[in-house]
Amino acid sequence: MAVYKRTYRGYSGAITPMWSRFLVLYRFSRQTLFRSKIQTAFYVLCFFFPLLCLLGLYANAHLSAFTFFAGRTEPLFAVDSKFFLIYLGFQASLAFILTAFIGPGLVSPDLANGALTLYLCRPISRAEYVAGKMSVLVITLSWITWVPGILLYIVQSSLSGLDWFVQNLFLVVGVFLGSWLWIIVLSLLALALSAYVKWRIVAGALMLAIMFMGAGFAQAINAVLQTKQGYLLDISKLASIIWQSLLHDTLDDIPLSPTEAWFALLAFAGSCLYLLMKKVRANEVVR
Amino acid sequence: MSSQIVFDNVSKFYGDVLGVNRVNLSIPPGITSLVGPNGSGKTTLMNLMTGLIRPSRGKIEILGLTPDQPEKLFRLVGYCSQFDSFPKGLTGYELIYSFLLLFGHDSATADELAWKAIDRVGLREAANRKAAGYSKGMRQRIRLAQSIAHNPRVLVLDEPLNGLDPLVRAETIALFRLLAKQGCHVILSSHVLHEVDIISDQVILMSGGYVVAEGNIQGVRSEIQEQPMQILIRCDQPNTLASRFFEEDHVVEVRMHVDKKGLLVKTSDPDRFFLLMNRVALAGRRVESVAPVDDDVNSVYEYLIGEEGVR
Amino acid sequence: MNPLWIAQIKAVIRLELRKTFFARRGLWIYLLAFAPVALFTMQAIVENHVKGENPPAGARLITDQELSSIRHGMTMEEVTARLGQPAYTNTSRHPGPDSAKDVQVRVMKYPLETGQFNVVFEDGVVTGTWSRRGGIPFYKETYVFAGVFQFFFIRLAIFFGCLGIFMNLFRGEMLDKSLHYYLLAPIRREVLLVGKFLAGLLAATVIFTFSAALQLVAASLSFDASTISQFLYQQHGFSQIGSYLLVTVLACIGYGSVFLATGLLFKNPIIPAAIVLIWEAANPLLPTLLKKISVIYYLKSMCPVQVPVDPGMPKLLALLVSNTEPVSAYLAVIGLIALSAVVLFASSQRVRTLEINYTTE
Repeated sequence: MAVYKRTYRGYSGAITPMWSRFLVLYRFSRQTLFRSKIQTAFYVLCFFFPLLCLLGLYANAHLSAFTFFAGRTEPLFAVDSKFFLIYLGFQASLAFILTAFIGPGLVSPDLANGALTLYLCRPISRAEYVAGKMSVLVITLSWITWVPGILLYIVQSSLSGLDWFVQNLFLVVGVFLGSWLWIIVLSLLALALSAYVKWRIVAGALMLAIMFMGAGFAQAINAVLQTKQGYLLDISKLASIIWQSLLHDTLDDIPLSPTEAWFALLAFAGSCLYLLMKKVRANEVVR
Repeated sequence: MSSQIVFDNVSKFYGDVLGVNRVNLSIPPGITSLVGPNGSGKTTLMNLMTGLIRPSRGKIEILGLTPDQPEKLFRLVGYCSQFDSFPKGLTGYELIYSFLLLFGHDSATADELAWKAIDRVGLREAANRKAAGYSKGMRQRIRLAQSIAHNPRVLVLDEPLNGLDPLVRAETIALFRLLAKQGCHVILSSHVLHEVDIISDQVILMSGGYVVAEGNIQGVRSEIQEQPMQILIRCDQPNTLASRFFEEDHVVEVRMHVDKKGLLVKTSDPDRFFLLMNRVALAGRRVESVAPVDDDVNSVYEYLIGEEGVR
Repeated sequence: MNPLWIAQIKAVIRLELRKTFFARRGLWIYLLAFAPVALFTMQAIVENHVKGENPPAGARLITDQELSSIRHGMTMEEVTARLGQPAYTNTSRHPGPDSAKDVQVRVMKYPLETGQFNVVFEDGVVTGTWSRRGGIPFYKETYVFAGVFQFFFIRLAIFFGCLGIFMNLFRGEMLDKSLHYYLLAPIRREVLLVGKFLAGLLAATVIFTFSAALQLVAASLSFDASTISQFLYQQHGFSQIGSYLLVTVLACIGYGSVFLATGLLFKNPIIPAAIVLIWEAANPLLPTLLKKISVIYYLKSMCPVQVPVDPGMPKLLALLVSNTEPVSAYLAVIGLIALSAVVLFASSQRVRTLEINYTTE
């Protein structure tokens, strides 16, 4: 065939920056995120506890405004490490449930339907793909963990004054770091399971299994071997120990040291990342 | 036992989405092709026939049996679906052999039937490899083998020639012809219209979930009144013949063929036109050939399902 | 029974077992099932290692309350005031954080009923404590085994293992887009359901009863032959072992039927699985009639050893342990089988109208 009209040219216009390219995956995954009504309703419910805490902080600082508390001068509760620990623990549990809903559907459909080839034949690396999928969970979970936590801290600071803000700065750092640690662990776990089993529903079941089985087996180890090292398998316990240390809560009754808890949790996250990178491949060879 | 496949006012809705609507068909033995654009309802019709989905309304009977009687029906029906997937971990041979055991065959019989089916599709060398590792054409062939292994009387094939190389296509078409000759119902869907033309005894044209036309091609074409029939006449004096044709009110258009040795005539009444051609020939004019040019599937498809024919 | 149905069921089982047994994606089920075996084996190794250290004659045994009263930062005098003189003491010197000065490390060892409690002092101040249990009596070991069996093995290992195996049977085939092969075979759908259920049950019972048997063996490794012989022949040992294995089989039947049904009825069976998990956990709190609609209610009654409620046990655990309305073994077996039969019947009604629509999965 003679080529006589050499008019074809590749696109040469402006392109988006490379560093933010992975957010394209977030943008499209987000569209399917809240198609389920149950999922959407649950996400909305996740904001109720922070809202309740906010109202509690206000009530705590304005007892005289409530006739129910007329005459009471002492605050209802102390806004200290324990308060933020309870907040973090509650929201982390909701974050886990939300991850069990959302996480499994991120990678497994791409693997099951052969879509990974389509992604990886574009100028996007495996790391960017994983980052893009992870960003779905990170951004969604951030809205229900450290973002309202920081808001609560700011509100309490505005009610209590600059001194309180300065003296308790470790609380906001603890909430921020503790939330990020939990978000990263949950995200890596969800994505690793999603990549490993290729079925969304089984990945969801495995998330539940790992959480409950881990806790159960930890108790079994402790009971049988008369030790406390079993808690190394209980990721919720490990996270709770770390939060206690970040929020400077009392560490007398913790079964493991914060250092051990950090190492165990980071090792767990590392193995999830390893499994994820092993499984996220464009081609699967069947022998 | 009845020898027909009957759809009696069958409709299927997927929620608000129409699959097929008010389908009334009676499919005789032979090769029947389902033709239609993507989303027209061909696969839905095949899935309804084989009980994989249930009709929202209406009744289906295959050789006197209904899809509610799978234990009897699937001894007579084989379905090569479009689903390109296999049970995990099975080789090509195991796929066919294991499911033949479900028929109640003993091990030796199932083994014999399995190898026979594998040989028919030419996959003996690859039979002991995992089916999931096959190429596209091999996957298509092993699925075909699985559907014919039990010697069914009704063979339903969803795009069976997809991914096959020309040699294998020809062999597969020969197989369908052989089965049809033996009295089987072979129902297949295809987008390759010239192949449908060659192999089919009858066609069912579908569009938007409706059956637009059914029957043999020539019969369908003759019923399309609103599209004048195009006829090619090869002769040595096209100009003279053309002026004769213009005297007839049923002749809509006459065009000179590019090689100037023929005429392309459009007539709204083919019967009268052929009578006219008899008179022309008897009057001594030299006519080499008279042949319709648009009584093939391609033309019928264009008329009924193309831009003008869409409902 | 119709011989064709039997042949078809055998064919379905054959097909399914190829996918369930030795499938790489089922590896987690094996890990789940055999984790307690590893645990009891480790326990036996530790027990055998520490058993030799008996407390000196007349030494006062430390109670758990005394043990838990020792805190970091206490002095030696405070510790000896609470616990008395130690049975053994080890002293050593280690380089301190600044290498100019060595640190004196003293370990005081106090005998426990089973094992030893160690208090570590650095420069006269408590910096750590640890217990080493050993020589646990056989009767306590039966309680430990019963606890692990009831709370970990049945409620978690068998629960999630059956979830993985039985949900795979229909819902997994849908996701794999291979269920249509079965529906296009000349087999009644109810027969297909029975075949798949039996295949899953065979896989689950083999894996979990083998695990239960190995757990029993591992748990007895740290005891001498005479103790084991006494348990088997004089303390109804065989009957206990039989009960544990029967409970395992019945747990597989009960949970298997439930998860087969959830796989058929729900597109995403995780939510009902979570509900079942909570329902089973909340069983002690339910009214009597609702209690009976639960697998764990029957299984608990059939466990041969009831876990005793310790005063120090957390309330929630104590609630899970207690069996305030036990049922006789016969009624428990009949009840569980009846429950499974009802669930399977409901599944058979659903499977008759099952449609293949992979694009929506």
